[in-house]
Amino acid sequence: MARRSQGTKLHLAVLCLVVSCHAIGLSDLMERASQRSDQLPHSLVHADSHFPPMGRVMMPRPSMCHTSSLQTPKDKEQALRVSENELISLARSLLLAWNDPLLLLSSEAPTLPHPSNGDISSKIRELQDYSKSLGDGLDILVNKMGPSSQYISSIPFKGGDLGNDKTSRLINFHFLMSCFRRDSHKIDSFLKVLRCRATKMRPETC
Amino acid sequence: MWGEVGGALVLLLLSEVLDCIGISPPGKPVLINCRSPEKETFTCRWDPGFDGGLPTTHHLYYQKEDSYGMYECPDYQAAGSNSCFFNKSHTSIWVNYNITVVAINSLGSTVSDPLEVDVMYIVQPNAPENVTVSVVETEESPHLLVKWEPPHEADTRSGWITLTYQLRVKRQNKKESEWEEYASGKQTQLIIYSLHPGEVYMVQLRCKLDHSLWSEWSTTTHTEVPDYFLKERSIWIVVTVFSAFIILLVTFTLAMKRKYVKHCLLPPVPGPKISGLDTQLLKSGRSEDILSSLINQGFPPTIATKDQQVDYLLVFDSEQVTPDLQNGQTRTNNSIDHGCYDHSLLMEANNKEVKVGGRETVEQGYSEGLESTFRKTKGLSTDVTSHPYPQKKPFNNVTETPKQATVSSKYRSLSHHKDLWDSLARHLDYRETVVKSQSNCDDKHNLSSQNIVTPSKDIGYVEVHRWTKSIGLKVLVPKMDKRQDYSKVSVVENDNVVLLKRETVPLNCTSCKVGGNQSEKCLQQKPCKPNMTVPAKEGVHIGSNGYVEPVTMSHTL
Repeated sequence: MARRSQGTKLHLAVLCLVVSCHAIGLSDLMERASQRSDQLPHSLVHADSHFPPMGRVMMPRPSMCHTSSLQTPKDKEQALRVSENELISLARSLLLAWNDPLLLLSSEAPTLPHPSNGDISSKIRELQDYSKSLGDGLDILVNKMGPSSQYISSIPFKGGDLGNDKTSRLINFHFLMSCFRRDSHKIDSFLKVLRCRATKMRPETC
Repeated sequence: MWGEVGGALVLLLLSEVLDCIGISPPGKPVLINCRSPEKETFTCRWDPGFDGGLPTTHHLYYQKEDSYGMYECPDYQAAGSNSCFFNKSHTSIWVNYNITVVAINSLGSTVSDPLEVDVMYIVQPNAPENVTVSVVETEESPHLLVKWEPPHEADTRSGWITLTYQLRVKRQNKKESEWEEYASGKQTQLIIYSLHPGEVYMVQLRCKLDHSLWSEWSTTTHTEVPDYFLKERSIWIVVTVFSAFIILLVTFTLAMKRKYVKHCLLPPVPGPKISGLDTQLLKSGRSEDILSSLINQGFPPTIATKDQQVDYLLVFDSEQVTPDLQNGQTRTNNSIDHGCYDHSLLMEANNKEVKVGGRETVEQGYSEGLESTFRKTKGLSTDVTSHPYPQKKPFNNVTETPKQATVSSKYRSLSHHKDLWDSLARHLDYRETVVKSQSNCDDKHNLSSQNIVTPSKDIGYVEVHRWTKSIGLKVLVPKMDKRQDYSKVSVVENDNVVLLKRETVPLNCTSCKVGGNQSEKCLQQKPCKPNMTVPAKEGVHIGSNGYVEPVTMSHTL
């Protein structure tokens, strides 16, 4: 419920901006964005816990995630060298790339051959909400940051369905979930670095 | 063919022989885990397994998902034995590592199972450092201030990692006490309230990197909370309880002794007391005691003071002075020898005492206008005084004259009044009685008519006696009805009947002795001739207020 309220808070922030009332500062927006992005992986961990650890052999390699084509920093030094505009662009690109897969997952979840597919299904819906609210918040953020930060890389999602048989469906579902988990972690890290840079006056917020 | 078979057999034999000796290729090592404390480096550890009896070396090889090629561990020593430390340059995040360990000895090598590692999943920070717990003593209540620092290797200033902390507290002395956990967020200090004084508290801390695993709990910090404020509070509690107890006790005592307290605070109004009348004695009904008490106390109240003594004033209508007056003072008990009636009057007025003072008052009671009479009386009195006569009661001293003079002076004016008798006789309050004197009295006195004014028994009234030869002694006395006079009680019959004693004035007859039940007898036995009763009261009348009221009965009684 707290997460939903935060989502509504973000919506309110957006509304506020639209009607030209008191504008929320960049740091506050960043704070809220990072808080929301923090919830994504958390939720995914819950969702992922339903799946038993599968044999690595059968699992597709993570490099087969559809977002692996996007070049992102791989360690701290690289991440700290990336400019703020690029950081926000990366975050938004990643987030955008997962809109379609999430739709697929949400449609596939109820029919998933899993005992707790109801839980999984609700989790997928939750993830969709968070993703949407975070995307809206980031849109407001880039408006404040300037035009150079508004570049988004488009990452198409080609996966039509999860498969035909039960096992492949489960495996593919789990694989997609793990990919999304990694990408949400990336988004969260990028936004936190961005937040720290944006509030240079207060290092204790980093 | 025979050669191959022979070779195989030889190998088999060799291995068997080696087994008997106790050496073999190394056992399979097992990768335990890999950990990254700060999201920048990580360390992998393995269990070497059985070394096969021969010196065995282990090698770690890894493969990254985004690059090709097998790489060996960059650092085997930094993290200790059977470990591989990946420094910052060799650590990539969001990249899968495929790690394997190979154990090699002279007889062979064994490869462990691979381990897929992504640094973002293996982050586990070290415990917070420099935990300081201090007791902050404020007036309201003391609290614990816990301060700490993040683990030294964590970089919290670039935003790469965000640490969140968790604290737990427990009381050391209390058995079965649970740890109380508090989330601290990103703050590096926390205040704990609601402490128990005198207790030792244990504090532990741990932290988490974003969504990583929780660190281990830090080493326990012990702090003792002083219990001074408990004493202060306990003193107040003791004082309150004690005072409450005292108040309860007092209230209870007052409630028990309600009557006594009421008596003390609101004393009852004392009832009227009659001096000389003992109500308890009356109630008891013992006549002897009653009578004795009554009599002994001079009931009716006899004239105790000098003021109340009857003072005689001589009033002369004529200039005559009898030679008897001048001469004869042989009588005893005589102040002024005007006749028998004087004597009787004296007796009547004062049963016990002899009014000697009357002489003196007479001496001084006359004004200059009646100087002739005064002189006569003076001479008379002088003569009288020259002869001492035995008295039943002692003389009043001359020195007491002034006192009496004041009394008698009141009546002086009265005595001068020519129409004294008439005026008094007409007075409503006075009535006339006649006392017949005896023959011998008549002989002795040649006085025509004299008015002798005497103060009656009660102050404020006078009696006038006039002796006329023809009639006898006429007495003007105040009416009894207006006087509040006491009556002598002869007997108390029962609770509400009192017999009063008749007061008789016997003239030369044996006076009836007062006593007991003989009053009635007295009347019948020896009837004195002029059996007059001057203020004689006999009868019983119980007033409504319980007092005995004087009732004037007719002489028919």
